[in-house]
Amino acid sequence: MTKATGAIEVEGTVTECLRNATFKVKLQNGHVVLAHISGKIRKNYIKILPEDRVLVELSPYDLTRGRIRYRYR
Amino acid sequence: MNASQPPHPTPGPSEHALAVTRVSDTQWQAVDGDLVVGRADASRRPDGRLFVSVDAWYDTARDRLAATVLADLPAPLHTVADEADHDAVAAWQRLGFTPVRRERTYVVPTDPHTTGLAPARPPAGVTIVPAGRAQEGPLRDLDRVVRDEVGAGAGWPTMPAEVLPRPAGTTVVDPSKYVVAQQDDRYLGLLRLAPVTRRPRIGLIAVRAEAHRRGIARALLAHTLGSLHHAGTASAWAEADETNTAAIALLEGVGARHVGSILELVRR
Repeated sequence: MTKATGAIEVEGTVTECLRNATFKVKLQNGHVVLAHISGKIRKNYIKILPEDRVLVELSPYDLTRGRIRYRYR
Repeated sequence: MNASQPPHPTPGPSEHALAVTRVSDTQWQAVDGDLVVGRADASRRPDGRLFVSVDAWYDTARDRLAATVLADLPAPLHTVADEADHDAVAAWQRLGFTPVRRERTYVVPTDPHTTGLAPARPPAGVTIVPAGRAQEGPLRDLDRVVRDEVGAGAGWPTMPAEVLPRPAGTTVVDPSKYVVAQQDDRYLGLLRLAPVTRRPRIGLIAVRAEAHRRGIARALLAHTLGSLHHAGTASAWAEADETNTAAIALLEGVGARHVGSILELVRR
């Protein structure tokens, strides 16, 4: 049985808060992705602001989209 | 790479079966082939309520994950969603979740010229004890009293601040985060400020029932926002249940801006 692999995780900086609870995040490699907040972050009422440093999980189906999994303090 | 292949796989189940497994008591994952395409998580709040979250890269994975979680866990189940995230709200509603509470999120300015709080002084005989100076025993007593007064049983069900992890029976986790209103040797009201990076969060404002309508909450807010402004912080977060008209009036009265709403949904 092969071990399942998770999606790629990349650090980035939030550049803009958009409508529909999405964010523009500039990744360390300079690419900009559209990201949602993970349900776990939402459940814990963690707020995301422009300039926050975050960990983004990229969609394996569309590398321009992602999910914010962690906000660094 | 075969030139005829798309650059990325197409969202949706591949030729491999989509498998959903429970990987721990509180976690599930959806695997498509050898790729994790979704995760679900459950956590119990200190008041005993069970909250779930589901994240997936495509709808089928999300629906399968959610169905498994709902089958594995006892009702009632709770979740939260940003009201602006229409897809997420609709997905939860398709699963039988209904909104039970809407909480407004506010950005509260700290500049006294904007808040109008510069002249706010505590009522006669009341002093404000700055953060970190409150005595722990009386603070815990006050916290207990105000929780009893709002009808809290196991917890304070409408306060998101209750998500803070803490030992059983303890509600004041870090006394240094509390600003307190004191009269003689008695504490009348409290404000908890979480020093979140860049924009602090006002997690709780509460005053003994007998001391309501004396301007104590406003004085606590004036002190706290004034201190933040003095320290160079331009704004703070605060949340208020949409049915809590007193909290909304307090926040909007100091120029707080309503920037969104969080929905709490339940499936019974």
